[in-house]
Order: sequence, then C-alpha cells, then structure tokens
Amino acid sequence: MTAEQRAKSLSVHLVLIAYSVLAVGPILLVVMNSFKVRSAIFGSPLALPDATTFSLVGYEKVFRSSHILTYYSNSLIVTLVSMALVLLFGAMAAWALTEYRFRGSTALALFLSIGIMVPIRLGSVAILNMMRSAGLNDTLTALVLVYVAQGLPMSIFILSEFIQQIPKDLRDAARCDGVPETRIFFEVVAPLLRPAIATVAVFTIVPIWNDLWFPLILTSSDSTHTVTLGVQQFLGQYITDWNSVLAALSMAILPVVLIYVILSRQLIAGLTSGAVK
Amino acid sequence: MPESVSNITAQMPRAKLAGLLLFFLGPAVAIYTLFSIYPLVATMALSTYTSDPSGARYFVGLANFETLLGDALWSKPFWNAFGNNLIFFAVHMCVQNPIGIALAGLLSLPGLRLKGFYRTVMFLPTMLSVVIVGFSWNLILSPLWGVASGALKAVGLGSLFAPWLGLESSALVTLSLISVWQFVGIPMMLIYAALLNIPEELIDAARVDGLGHFRIFFHIKLPLVLPTISLVSVLTFVANFNAFDLIYSVKGALAGPNFATDILGTFFYRTFFGNQLQLGNPTMGSAVATVMFFIILLGLCLYLFLVQRRVRRYAF
Amino acid sequence: MANLRIEHLNKRYGATTVLNDVNLDIEDGEFVVLVGPSGCGKSTLLRMIAGLDGASGGDIQIAGKLVNTLAPAERGIAMVFQSYALYPHMNVRKNMTFGLKFTGVPPAERDRRVAEAARMLRLDELLERYPRDLSGGQRQRVAIGRAIVREPAVFLFDEPLSNLDAALRVSTRVEIANLHRMLKSTIVYVTHDQVEAMTLADRIVVMNKGCIEQVGRPLDLYYAPANLFVAGFIGSPAMNFFEAKVGSVEGGCARISGPGFRSFDLPATSLKVGDSLTVGVRPEHLGRGEDGPFAVEGVVELVERLGEASFAYVRRADDRLFVAEVRGRQTPTPGERATLIAAARDVHVFDAAGLRVTTQNDA
Ligand SMILES: Nc1ncnc2c1ncn2[C@@H]1O[C@H](COP(=O)(O)OP(=O)(O)OP(=O)(O)O)[C@@H](O)[C@H]1O
Ligand SMILES: [Mg+2]
Repeated sequence: MTAEQRAKSLSVHLVLIAYSVLAVGPILLVVMNSFKVRSAIFGSPLALPDATTFSLVGYEKVFRSSHILTYYSNSLIVTLVSMALVLLFGAMAAWALTEYRFRGSTALALFLSIGIMVPIRLGSVAILNMMRSAGLNDTLTALVLVYVAQGLPMSIFILSEFIQQIPKDLRDAARCDGVPETRIFFEVVAPLLRPAIATVAVFTIVPIWNDLWFPLILTSSDSTHTVTLGVQQFLGQYITDWNSVLAALSMAILPVVLIYVILSRQLIAGLTSGAVK
Repeated sequence: MPESVSNITAQMPRAKLAGLLLFFLGPAVAIYTLFSIYPLVATMALSTYTSDPSGARYFVGLANFETLLGDALWSKPFWNAFGNNLIFFAVHMCVQNPIGIALAGLLSLPGLRLKGFYRTVMFLPTMLSVVIVGFSWNLILSPLWGVASGALKAVGLGSLFAPWLGLESSALVTLSLISVWQFVGIPMMLIYAALLNIPEELIDAARVDGLGHFRIFFHIKLPLVLPTISLVSVLTFVANFNAFDLIYSVKGALAGPNFATDILGTFFYRTFFGNQLQLGNPTMGSAVATVMFFIILLGLCLYLFLVQRRVRRYAF
Repeated sequence: MANLRIEHLNKRYGATTVLNDVNLDIEDGEFVVLVGPSGCGKSTLLRMIAGLDGASGGDIQIAGKLVNTLAPAERGIAMVFQSYALYPHMNVRKNMTFGLKFTGVPPAERDRRVAEAARMLRLDELLERYPRDLSGGQRQRVAIGRAIVREPAVFLFDEPLSNLDAALRVSTRVEIANLHRMLKSTIVYVTHDQVEAMTLADRIVVMNKGCIEQVGRPLDLYYAPANLFVAGFIGSPAMNFFEAKVGSVEGGCARISGPGFRSFDLPATSLKVGDSLTVGVRPEHLGRGEDGPFAVEGVVELVERLGEASFAYVRRADDRLFVAEVRGRQTPTPGERATLIAAARDVHVFDAAGLRVTTQNDA
C-alpha cells in the first residue's frame, strides 16, 4: 500500500467510525446511564457505571410499577403469531400467484399490492368499529389480525420473488414424481424459502414489534399492552424519574439489540439479497 | 425468457384448480380484504356521514370535506399539519438520501475492512421502535440532562446549543432529523445492495479507462442505482405522510409547541380520538384519513407517471 | 413398458406456434432421440408427453391409453431434467423415495426399489448424502435413479448430459445405453449432441421450427437425409451444398451442372430440364483425386488440424467456400490448388423444395 492509499483508506474508516459512533452513541448513552445512580446520570453522563455509581434502582421501579413482563409476553405473542401467519399465508398466496395461471391472477396481484403502498392505518376508524362490534376490542387477537393484514402484501411480494428463483424443474420433477400440489408447496417449496424469512422479518415483522399506533387505539388495559405502548405510557407517567425512564427505555432496547446482533448476519443478507428491487 | 408460471393448470380439472386456489389464496385474501381493504373503504364511506349528539349517523355527502378545507377552525390546523408534513418529508429527502447514498458508497468500496461491523452498527437504529428512539433523543437533547450541550461545549460550539425540541422554530426540523437518524439505514442498505449488484467487470472496465473511485461512483454507479433511489424516495414519502409515532411519543397528541410539530398523522389522531381541547369525532377523523389517502395516492401517481417512467432500469 | 403414440399434436402460446401437427409412433422398448436446433420445440414436446404442458390440440397415447387429461404422475412416465432437479433439502434416499410415498408404494417395496436402483447406478455409498455433497456425475445418476424407482412405462430425458464435462459425458452415455439394455424400457431423449444421438438412438427424430423433419435410424438419416434441413443438421462439420441446374435429360439420366464443380450425370428419372437443384456432399466424403463421379476444385485457404483428421477450407472458382475432411499425415497447405472427388453414392441431390431426389444410386 502506498502512503496515499493508506491515507485514503484511513479517511474512509474515520468517516465510517464517526457515523457508527453517531448511530450507536445515543443508544449506548441511554443503556449506560440506566445502570447509574441519579447523581451520576447528571454528574458524568458519559462515564461508564462503576462500583460507586452502579445502581439498579430504575429497573426495580419499572418492575414494581409497571407490568413490563406482561408487556413483553404480549409483544412476543403478537409478533410471533403474526409472523407465523404472515409467513404461512403469505407464502401460500405467493405460491398460487406465481405458480398457477388463472383468470384474474394479475388483477388479484394488483389488488394485493395496494396494501404495500397504502398504509392500513388510514382505515383505523373502521377497524376500531369492527373490532368493537366483533367483541375483539382490547384483545391480542385484534392486533394479530390487523398486523397479518398489514404484513401480507409485502410478504407476498417478497416471497414471490424468492419462489420465482426456485428452479422450475424442481416443481416439475415433483409433479412427475406424483407429489400432490399441496405437498409440493409444503415439502418442496416451503423448506427452500427459509432464506426469505430474514427479508420478510425486516420489512414486516420488525414494524409489528415496534408499532405504537394499533396498540394505542385497539388496546386499553395493561393486560393487553405491548412493550412499545407500555413503555410509552410508563415514560409519560414517570417523566421526571430519570432512573426509571432510562431503565424502561433500556428494557425496550436491549432485547431487540440482542436479537438483532445474533441475527444481523441473516437479516442483512436478507436485505441485500436483492429480493426487493 | 419463458415465463415461470406453470402450465400445469391447463390440464387440471376446473374444480381441482378452484380448490387449490381457494386453499392457497383463501386465507391471505380473506384476512387482507377484511382487515385492510374493507376498513379503508368503510372509512371513506364513513367520511360522508356525520353524527348528532345522540349518536345517530346520517349522510351528508362531501360536507365533512367542505368543513375540513373551508372552515377556518378545521382548515387552519389541517394546512398547518400538511405544511409541516411537507417539511418533514423535505428534510428526509435532503438529508436521509444523500447520507444513505454516501454511506452505501463507502461501504461498497472494494477491499474495505470491517464492512460487516459497520453495516450492523449503522443499521441498528432502524431496528428500534420509533417511540424509544424519539424518547431517547428527547432526553439527550434536554437541557436538563445537558449531554448535548456538554458535547457541543467540548468541541467549542457550546454557544450553539438551544433546547431545539422545545422551540417553535426548530422543533419540527429536529424531529425530522431524529427520524432521519433512525431510518437512514434503509436507503443505505437498499442502495448498498444495488451497488453490489453492479458487475465487477463494469467497474474494472472503467478503471482500465482511467477513471478514479470518485468518478466511477458519480458517473457509473450512481446512474445505475437511480431506480433504487427513486424507490427509496417513494417509500420515504409514504412513510412520512403516515408518520405518527415519533411526534406522538415526543410531543404528545398536541404536537407542541403550539402545533409546530403537528403532522397529518397526529392531526388525524386528535380528530378521531379527541384530546383535552376537543371531543373525538370519528366521521371527521374518517374525512381526514380519506384526505391522507388521496394525498398518498397523488404522490404515488406523480411518482409512477413522472419519475418511474424517466428512470431507466438497466439490465446487466 | 409401453408404446407411445402422438397424433396431430399442436402447441401454441398466443399467436406463436411452438409445435405444429406432430405425429410420432414409438414402439415398446424403443430408444428415440429428439434433435433439432435450439428453440425448435424439443423440450416442449417432451414436457407435453410428461403432462407438464397442456396441448393446444391432438392426442397422446401411452400404452394404448389416451392420457391427454391425466396428471403427470398418472401417465406412467418419469423424467430426468437437464438441471437434475434434485430436492436440495433431501438426501439421496429421500430424493428417490419421496415420490413413491404419494403413489401408494408400500415402504418395503420402496426400499427394495431404491436398493436395486442404487446397485445398478453404483449409488450405494451415497444414499445418505445431500445433493450439495455430490459431484455433477453423481447427481446425474441420482436423477436417473429417481426415475428408475418409479418403474415408469416411458422414460423422458431432457438433455441429461449437457451439464457434464466431456469425459463424464462419454462414460454416462455408455451407462445410459447399458441401462436401456437392462431395463428394456421405452425412452424419449432430447439432446443437442449428435454423437449422443447417433450412438444411443434406435431412431432419431429431427425437428425444426415445431415440425418433424425426418424420423429414422441414425445411419439412414446420415446416408439418406430426406431433405436439405436434415442433411445440413446431421453431421459435423455440416454438409457442403452446391447450387445446380439440370442441363439435359437423356435415357433416365440427368446432366447436372453448376458453378464450382464439374458437371456429372445423375441416374434419376424424376428430373426435368431447367430444374433448380442443390447438390450436397459431406466433408468426410470428399477425398483428394484427379477425377471421379463428382469433382470440385479450388484453392485451399485454411487448414484446421485436429490430429486424426484435418479440415481444409477450399475456395471454389465462384468464390464460395467448402470444407473437405482430409485423413492421414499429409495435410494440404494453404494456397495449394486441390481437386476433391466423391463417390456417386455420397452425392445427395435435393429439388427446389429441398426434398431429396431419389436416384438409382440410393438402391
Ligand atoms: N411459456 C412460453 N411462452 C411462450 N413461448 C414459449 C414458452 N415456452 C417455450 N416457448 C417457446 O417455444 C419454443 C420451443 O421451446 P423449447 O424449450 O421446446 O425449445 P428446445 O427445442 O427445447 O430448445 P433448447 O434446445 O434450447 O432447449 C421456443 O421458441 C420458446 O421460446
Ligand atoms: Mg430444451
């Protein structure tokens, strides 16, 4: 490497490092300070907690005065059930749309793609009315139904691209082998869609976990709040209690960061696989 | 290229095909229609009704829209929210896209080390909830905590600090920048993916022609990823004109100070659910949602007819 | 085991006709090879036999039974794909038994068939492996094994060897020939490779633009191509063609002349004075000499030396090139004048419509 090349590469790294600090700095700052006593939060916000400043008082408060564990389990249930249904129904629909030629298939594909661009939120008034009259108001079921409807168009779009990449010969071979159509989907095609899960997750599952709007309008009791809504309400209530606020924020951040770091390789591979063009 | 659609349906008995389609498409179409399309249509329908204090609803045609756009009590906040939303969108376009493109360009430099690390770190904020991000920034920028002012002081710019989120003049732009900070990962990743798709040989050919990295980026790579940039823009547009979470969590439903940060999403929420100042009004709320729908539709049409057509896609 | 009968088969995609009135009778146990230029409809025909594509018109019978409306699995066929189409998430054994599960073959019988196919194809060691851990040749054998265990009446192969390297292609070709001898099953086989076609086929079907040009035994196609297309398609390098006219007709003999070659007499009764003809001679039938039943001369322009033979590109007086295959160590040199001759039975004559003119030489 020449000196000039080295200087160039160094400056590139400097820019990237600077931006990386900007990207994670605020998150680190919140998480770091959530483990400190109040005086240290204000006295030296940039210092790591040490033996004298370490404190879990904020976390104790959050556990004591909110149903954070219920929120976690609600978020988990809603996200996992929605994810399973979005993937299952999305893949099934994508398969039928890409594999079978039938009258109206183009129109149906167009109809389904409306939901990619038009946010389902705009129908909230009617959704709330519907859920009320169906007795589903303030239930996790209502959230799941809305999220599945919200996630399906994008997942159908993404999964169709993946299904098209599965060699046609494979499906034909299965047909020659006498495998019934439903089994071709479930036993030949579906197992090959595993790499698509990451892409679908980024575009449809993460927004579900993070959503504030629908929990806000569809759930009203603590027992149905999700983490995002629960923490949001907690923050509003204890706005002056910095320990608790930082702890609540960290409790919303940490599980996501943990899962993200574990799965980031697949998630990023899914994002950059080119299935969304 | 022979299409990938199977011809198997040609010799399948009609009833069998119908059964298969029902099985595969039924659940998705049913849930989607019932919980996405029907509510949209029903909301639009509801926007032509009004209700009296007893709760009875009756049809009023376009009267709600006349009120919304004609009655100063409604139209002022509406246009205020719309204007703010445009600013919100403009900041995204002018800041988020250039930063996203620049980062993607740097990440796709050949032979860059620690690529995976940078990608992971820079995309992290995008994974977090808007509520959490908004609140965290709220704390950091708060004069009470003094982190931001301290940081500025450290670099000798202490005098620049102001409680940006609290000032009517700067609150909206500050919130927009927080949103940019969070979502810059999406244009970065999509453009990065598009850059990776450009064949190596093309770049090598340009190198042989004597172009430097900078020229290659501006004259070869950038034109080739233009379709992705325009896609990112339209995604940003839809997301921006439908945003709500950030403003609501940082500024509450009233989008203060003095509605300086009110955008269509928060305006819709207040109209629908009401707040300290007014009662919730589902029919007017529906009217607001319908107008938002048409704004988004208009934007999409403009995109399809003006931008999409001019942006050429190149096959490699 | 079964015969296969195709009658008036048509296939259209919108306005484009891909297959046009295809008729073909294949005997029980026969090995039939389909050849033709890319895009002529070979794969389409094969897929229609398999039931993967529907017909726009016409009938397909397998073992005397009309199968037009039957699903692929009900037709008693098995297909081997160019890409092998092995299920990537199943091991070799599962790949072979997967289809049997759905066609009501009991487990014990499945195992017996897999064992037998594995023995035949030397796959015993590989049964627990996944496709990604196999070489190209092994994958190919698994694909064939998967077809064998179905015990089909008709095997369909679509360019099964084209993804293999040259050496493997030769050995697998021999294996397929052996397999056919052992199984005695009916096989329809698509290929681009003339050597495969010539060596494997009982009969070759030459297709062009969705039509069958000729059906016949390999050597019949080689020695007596029915038309210009088949003449030009079979054989490599391709047959040389010379434009010609009938000069005079006398006592069952026509005098043929044209630019670039010496006039000669053709014992054919069907020709009239002034008919336009095309004369064809294969490069390998042209040899150096002074005078013969057919003689053409020119200047050697380029010589390709392959070792066992050389191809000489010769420019005729009328400025057209033709090719001659020269055997032996004595190769011509560029710039040299050469006279090349062919025996009467190696000269093919086609009429203005491109159809073969039968002569007494054919007898
Ligand atoms: N789904 C389709 N729609 C329209 N045309 C098609 C379709 N499938 C095939 N064709 C056309 O049918 C013709 C025959 O295709 P086919 O695959 O049978 O050719 P082939 O003889 O197998 O060629 P190759 O030797 O290259 O494999 C081609 O011209 C092709 O473009
Ligand atoms: Mg083919």
